[in-house]
Amino acid sequence: MRLAVAFAILCAVLVANAALAQDAPKGSAERGKKLFVDLNCYSCHGTHAQGGGRNSEPPIPLGYPFAGFLNQMRKPRLDMPAYEEKLVSAQEAADLFAYFSSIKAAPAAKDIPQLRN
Amino acid sequence: MTQARKKTTQPPQTPEDESGLDRRSFLKGAAAAGAATAAAMAAATKVARGAEARAPKAEGEANARGDSFIARPGSDFMLDVIRTLNIDYFASNPASSFRSLHESIVNYGGNKKPEFLTCMHEESSVAIAHGYAKAAGKPMGVLCHGSVGLQHAAMAVYNAWADRVPVMMFAGNGMDANKRRPGVEWTHCVQDPAGLVRDFIKWDDQPASLQHFAESTVRAYKMAMSPPQEPVLITLDIDLQEEAIEGKVSIPKFSLAAPPQADERALRDAAKMLVAAQNPVIVADRCARSQEGVEALVKLAESLQAPVICTGNRMNMPSAHYLNQSENRPGLIRNADVILMLEVQDPWGTLHGMGDPWKDVRRAAKPDVKVIQISLADFMMKSNYQDFQRFCPADLAISGDAQTSLAPLTAAVKREMSSTRAAELAGKADGLKKRHQDMQERMKTAAALGWDASPVSTARLSVELWNAVKNENYCLAVSDRIAWPKRLWRTTQFTNMMGGSGAAGVGYSSPGAVGVALANRDKGILTVTLQPDGDMCYAPGVLWTAAHHKIPLLWVMYNNRGYVQEVMHLQRMAGLHRRDPKTAKVGTMIYDPEVDFAKLAQSFGVWGEGPISDPSKVGPALERALKVVKGGSPALVDVVCQLR
Repeated sequence: MRLAVAFAILCAVLVANAALAQDAPKGSAERGKKLFVDLNCYSCHGTHAQGGGRNSEPPIPLGYPFAGFLNQMRKPRLDMPAYEEKLVSAQEAADLFAYFSSIKAAPAAKDIPQLRN
Repeated sequence: MTQARKKTTQPPQTPEDESGLDRRSFLKGAAAAGAATAAAMAAATKVARGAEARAPKAEGEANARGDSFIARPGSDFMLDVIRTLNIDYFASNPASSFRSLHESIVNYGGNKKPEFLTCMHEESSVAIAHGYAKAAGKPMGVLCHGSVGLQHAAMAVYNAWADRVPVMMFAGNGMDANKRRPGVEWTHCVQDPAGLVRDFIKWDDQPASLQHFAESTVRAYKMAMSPPQEPVLITLDIDLQEEAIEGKVSIPKFSLAAPPQADERALRDAAKMLVAAQNPVIVADRCARSQEGVEALVKLAESLQAPVICTGNRMNMPSAHYLNQSENRPGLIRNADVILMLEVQDPWGTLHGMGDPWKDVRRAAKPDVKVIQISLADFMMKSNYQDFQRFCPADLAISGDAQTSLAPLTAAVKREMSSTRAAELAGKADGLKKRHQDMQERMKTAAALGWDASPVSTARLSVELWNAVKNENYCLAVSDRIAWPKRLWRTTQFTNMMGGSGAAGVGYSSPGAVGVALANRDKGILTVTLQPDGDMCYAPGVLWTAAHHKIPLLWVMYNNRGYVQEVMHLQRMAGLHRRDPKTAKVGTMIYDPEVDFAKLAQSFGVWGEGPISDPSKVGPALERALKVVKGGSPALVDVVCQLR
């Protein structure tokens, strides 16, 4: 459960749309993707930032702003590692957020034949 | 320990026979029959010499090699005893300390019931027996050296202990120092073999005679099978196996004890609490041991309209039943006023969470929630290993076997239920069905995330495998390594999902699945498993065991190329220590080089395909592999997956 909440918070950010990114500093999605891999974020959140979690917890509804995302990185709730300024700068955090914002939404479950059964 | 050496040329006898024909009787009989030819006399002389086969000799007194034999060794009688217990298999890596019993199994017993399963690691032997017991509902035998073999086996024994599974362990050992061959035989002998594992077995003995062996082995089996079911260990003395049967020995009549049912008055009190509850919740852990347990739990839940949370260690409740609300767990626990825990290993952890690394405790349930426990936890009388978890007070603690106690509890609930209350509860059904449906849709939506990702998402992998087996009588041999099958697959039978290792000791998944598949082979159940790569690397020789013994199992590699759980631990430690988190893959990831599991399988004689990273290619590969498995052979498909 602890991880589920932590994951869900980040997951909400991962799938945040462009509108949510408007309150974030300008970032580079390309740099963010590279940083996402370098920091091993993919070990919990997937190589496509699609989510996964220790037990692959499902996401909660969207709606987390950049400020909240940055706070979660600096002083994470629950199980997520902390990334302070000297490890991930404000610009890098913006890059990460830009990457998350660029990710296309997952297909709807109803449109996936294998999930209909 | 020393047995008088008496020889016989008697053919194999039935277990009911008493073995008492001694040398004098043999010679007398031979003479009376007028068959005392020179050849027969020569044979009798050899018998007499064979009587001293393992007896120490004075210097210069040694027998000529090949000049002696033992016609009726003690190990034949041991096998007779084992056969009365209906043990079908012995899993073993061969070793000299039980060479006589090994030979008896193969020749005297014809290698049938029990059949000798050739294993490549003692940990694999025990894990095979562990998985087998859960699927077969009865134990398998394991043979190992009492010293080095038991050391290899120890982790797997602990897994079986923590998973409450019976295993019949037999460990070879030479007690009489006067008869040990110099060198390795001394190195491989031990004063107290069971001491190594006594903290996590139910009972053990070191028989000093064949009669002692018979009684202790029958006792051990009975104890292993009585809930709480656990491994047991019998030490096999080398001399007892190899020396001839002496005097009259007999096999005790065998019968299992009825499992302990909870006290009727306590069940009545529990029924009153449950009927009066506004939001009762049932948590089922290692509750069911068979389909009977599943059906009994359904009846109890329906009588109360109480949602059930299955922990996943056993298949307790059909997934499609609207009262299986396992994925609604946090809300159910939070709002419950009465929680019924059925063989729950960690009651405290059910009601609480704990932050890491600051160890802050978070209450997950209401402060005044009433807790009823039905469990045999108080009968687990060991203290060293801490699998009993943190102490959790109960408002009503009932000692009893949960599966056995379900039917009388349901009967008590019905007695306490007024017609008015029954009508009220019936009115809850529609809401519970809606929540069940919502839960399932939520799981599907979550599974869609990263659907087309490469490497393959664990949800996609699980769904592709489900589509390959959904029209079969299937079994997922190890069902706790990926959470998605429990969320998305349709389960109706106890045998659909076999849980996990018990103690989270890595190395169980692959051999455990082989054991499950062996038990399912004769039942017409198709066995598949989602196999972590790190676990497979522990003892991959089990692939050969499956190929050699024609055990049909489909391994689907959940190959995330690492011990990924540890990656985040490293990241978190780095964050706490204000150091670089980018180093987290050092010591945790399996790369440079990457393991080619298809080739590994092929090298052991198992059909293999992969590695596959494209999600669209998983389904067709599974179809090809299942044709092999349905043909009676094992197969492996290596799928490179997302890390979680």
